[in-house]
Amino acid sequence: MADRSQHPGKIMETQTRFDLTAAIENWRQELAAQPDLTPEVRRELETHLRDTVAELQQRGLNKEESFWLARRRVGQPKQLCEEFAKADPTKIWRERMLWSLVGAFGVQLWLETSTFVWEFSIQAIMVMPSTIERLLPDWVLFYLPLPTLGGGFYRTFHNPLVSMFFSLVPMILTVILLSRGRMTRIASATRFLFESRRRFLFVSAALFSFYLLYLCFRLIRYSTMAATVPGNPPLTEMVQRFIAGLVLPITLLGLIAWLMPKGKSPNQRRA
Amino acid sequence: MYKTAMLAKDMVAASAKPLLLSILAEGESYGYEIIQKVREVSGGEIEWSDGMLYPVLHRLERDGLIDAEWKEADTGRQRKYYFISDAGRKVLKAERQQWLTVHNTLGKLWKLKPVSI
Repeated sequence: MADRSQHPGKIMETQTRFDLTAAIENWRQELAAQPDLTPEVRRELETHLRDTVAELQQRGLNKEESFWLARRRVGQPKQLCEEFAKADPTKIWRERMLWSLVGAFGVQLWLETSTFVWEFSIQAIMVMPSTIERLLPDWVLFYLPLPTLGGGFYRTFHNPLVSMFFSLVPMILTVILLSRGRMTRIASATRFLFESRRRFLFVSAALFSFYLLYLCFRLIRYSTMAATVPGNPPLTEMVQRFIAGLVLPITLLGLIAWLMPKGKSPNQRRA
Repeated sequence: MYKTAMLAKDMVAASAKPLLLSILAEGESYGYEIIQKVREVSGGEIEWSDGMLYPVLHRLERDGLIDAEWKEADTGRQRKYYFISDAGRKVLKAERQQWLTVHNTLGKLWKLKPVSI
C-alpha cells in the first residue's frame, strides 16, 4: 500500500520537473503588470504566497500542487488589483468628478441646442395646419383649434420665458425621477456607455459632431441673414464665439476620457 | 472573492474592522497569520480571502488605526507586521460598544444571555 501511494507523486514530479522559483517569478511578473499594485503591496503578497506554499508543502502536497493551490487562494493578479482599486479612497471622488463632468457636458450641449430644438418644433407645428387644411373637409376644420401664424399659439410658445422653461425640463425631470427613486433603472441603462472607453468616446463624438453641425448651421445662417443688418456684431465676432463654444465641450470630453475607469472589467460590476 | 461559509458579504465587510483591530490588540501580526487566526477563532465559519484582507489592512493603516513595519521573521524572510495604534484602540473600544449593543438587542429578542459592555 505504501508503495502505491508514493508512486503517483514520484511520477508526477519527475514528469513535469516543476520549478517553484520560476513559477513564483512568473507570478511576480504577472502581478507587476497590474497598474494599481505598488511594489510594497506586491512584496507583501509574495510573502503571503510563499507562506501558503510552505504550509501546504508541510501538509504533504508536492511543490506544484502547493504552488497552484496557494496561487488560487491568494487570488488572480487581476482580481487582486480590482480589490485594491475598490478600497482606494480617491476612487469614489474620481467617480463623482466623472459624473459631474458628464453632467456638465450634457447640460452644456443641451442648453446650447435646446432653443433651436424648441424653435424648430414650433415651426414644425406651424406648418402642420396647412397640411391638415388640405386633407380635411371644412366642417371638421371648424371644430379643430388649429394654431395660426401670429395667433395665440405662436405668441404663447414663441416666447423666451417658455423656451427657457423647456430647456430646464430634462434637469427638472431628472431630479423628480431621482427623488422618487426611479433613476437607478435609467442609470443602469446608461451605464453600458461607460463600460468601455471606446464605446463612450464613440457616442460622445457622435453627440459632439451633431453639436458641431448645429454651430456651423447657425454660423452660416448668421452670415447669410443677420451679418449685414446694421447694429449686429460682425461675422468675425461670431466666428470667435463659435470657437469659444467649442472649447468647453472639448475640454470636458478630454477630462472625462481621462477620468474614465481603465479598461473594461465585467467582474467589477456588482450583480 | 469572498469565501464565506456562513457570513453574508455585508457582514464580512462590516465585521472586518473590529475583527482586525481585536486581533492586533492582542499583539502584532501579519496578513497570513491574521487569516489563520480568524479561521481558527471562528471555528472555520469566517473564511477571509487574501484579496479582501490586504485592502482593508491598508485602509486601516491609512486611517492611522494601525501601523506597519517590515521585519525579519524566524524563517529569515522579511514580513510586513501590523500593530494597533492608540487611535485604533479608541476606535476598537467604540466599535466594541456598538457591536455589543446590537448583540444584546438581538439577544433579548432571541432570549439569549446578555453580555456586559
